Amino acid sequence: MTANPNEILREDASGQVLIRLRGEVDLSWTQDVRRAVLAAFDAGKPVGIDLSAVDYIDSSGIAALVEGLQKARAQGLGFALVAPSAAVRAVLELARLDQVFKIVANAAALTAPA
Amino acid sequence: MNATAPLIEVDKLDAWYGQRQVLHAVDFTVTSGEIRVIMGGSGSGKSTLLRHLLGLQRPAAGSVRLFGVDMGKASERERLDVRKRIGVSFQGGALLTSLSVGENVALPLREHTDLDESTIRIMSRLKLEVVNLGGFQDLMPSQLSGGMVKRAALARAIVMDPRLLFFDEPSAGLDPVVSAELDELILRLRDALRMTIVVVTHELESAFKIADTITVLDQGRVLLTGSVAQVRAADNERIQDLLNRRPREMQVDAEAYLRRLTQEQT
Amino acid sequence: MSALERPLQGLGRATIGAISGVGYAAMLLVESLYYCVAGRRLGQRVRLAAIVRQMREIGVDALPIVALLGFTVGLMLGIQFIASLAEFGAQSQVVVAVAKSVTREFGALITAILVAGRSGSALAARIGSMSVSQEVDALAVIGIEPVRYLVAPALIAMLVMLPVLTIFANAVAIIGAALYSAPALNVTPSAYLLQTLSLLTPGDVWQGLSKSVVFALLITLIGVSTGFSVTGGAEGVGRATTRAVVLSICWIIVVDMVFSFFINR
Repeated sequence: MTANPNEILREDASGQVLIRLRGEVDLSWTQDVRRAVLAAFDAGKPVGIDLSAVDYIDSSGIAALVEGLQKARAQGLGFALVAPSAAVRAVLELARLDQVFKIVANAAALTAPA
Repeated sequence: MNATAPLIEVDKLDAWYGQRQVLHAVDFTVTSGEIRVIMGGSGSGKSTLLRHLLGLQRPAAGSVRLFGVDMGKASERERLDVRKRIGVSFQGGALLTSLSVGENVALPLREHTDLDESTIRIMSRLKLEVVNLGGFQDLMPSQLSGGMVKRAALARAIVMDPRLLFFDEPSAGLDPVVSAELDELILRLRDALRMTIVVVTHELESAFKIADTITVLDQGRVLLTGSVAQVRAADNERIQDLLNRRPREMQVDAEAYLRRLTQEQT
Repeated sequence: MSALERPLQGLGRATIGAISGVGYAAMLLVESLYYCVAGRRLGQRVRLAAIVRQMREIGVDALPIVALLGFTVGLMLGIQFIASLAEFGAQSQVVVAVAKSVTREFGALITAILVAGRSGSALAARIGSMSVSQEVDALAVIGIEPVRYLVAPALIAMLVMLPVLTIFANAVAIIGAALYSAPALNVTPSAYLLQTLSLLTPGDVWQGLSKSVVFALLITLIGVSTGFSVTGGAEGVGRATTRAVVLSICWIIVVDMVFSFFINR
């Protein structure tokens, strides 16, 4: 098991903002994740959160995603989780949030009409 | 911390209640990711062992280590750090009756984190959803049924995403359907949140369903620690008595018996 | 020999029990003060909101009953002093007699006994039932020191509110006495009150207040320590509640006497 450094990458494309999360999303840095997710709406474009490289997410991480979805709804923007890893899916399913979030297979699907 | 180091290490633990010794040199080890069931009849010492694991009682002899920290010798700060990483669901729930269900679940977050109020709200309600109590956050504990209290207590126990979860008698006093649901939930928690779980129970059915490994306690001694299959196959007479719900055969020590009957009160 | 041995053993056990009880209460006191001072650094902050809630329950909610009892006691003192001092033709001394006995003695005593019955018992019952239902254990394993969460706020609130209630009781009792005595002395109630103020020294008031601080410690520590040592389910909680009230009142009266003796020597 290689130690995965935690990081947040933001990619501003023409039609969307993509936040790539990496590593273990836990209480020690979810405040940063939350800020990054909420800040992504500045551009006024749909937001995707890429979770394919996340090995573990705790409920404070999930809470940040929920707040993102809430903000997206308020601003009428699209919000989707992109390719969540198995670990993330398991947590989403535990709280039945897989039925609440829009989950897409890749970033390209983000801009496709819902 | 080393990933392969055991989360719980108990070494030659003795415990006394007054003159009576309730634990005799108990050794007990739990490694990361397993579901361990501590099984035993009443009076087997399983509750006392749990109280020592939680640091509620100090060992008379021997040591208890959680995450490598000796709970008997740790400073207050170290103990607090350990306690932030464990969750406990008590037998009777032990929800604070002066707080609503939602406030109970949010209590550890409020006390130990500087999270945003909205994050705390979402996290605690999320955990209520996980235990199928979504929308019940404004009720008071006295308004809940027994099964709901247990589930709310579980939500509070897991709200900080503990690495290590203790569950005291999950199925005691519940109807079979609710208790089966709780067993299912314990398995899902381990898989999704990667928790290590220690369950204390006397319910065989539930123990066999959820356990990776079982420790059988009897009269303060560890009879056996092993997989479900090993426990089922054990030829120890007391274990077979437990499995088959046979009343134990009392060996009568004539001298001691007579003394108990006739001795004047001390 | 055993005829003598039995009661001696009982006496010994009771003594050890009493000493360990005092020791336990002292430990709770030291720990609460420690958390008040160092709690923030240890991640065990004593919450202001909790103190304020306790202050309301102990102090504000008790105002009506303190007013009623204070007034009644004042009235009673007025009646008694007028009657007994009239025998010596010394009715005019009623003002000073009431003023000093209320501020030095009765204000603090009546308030403390009342609060012991109301809040000392409530503390014992609350903590007792929490011990029985494992809520105290739950707090500990969540990482909330029960002493910090349950005892420290109550102690601070009691130390603030009991003297405040005592001042209030003093005022109401003197007004009560004035309403009865002023007509008997052929003065107006306001003239009576003005004379009272001119006769009182700060020392009189301080005597009552310093006692009420000690009473506050006694009520809280006896209430919480009996609460924590509850065993035996709901019945045990009931026993502890009664015990807390009886013990508090006994201690209050004994300590009051000792205090009065040393201060007035």
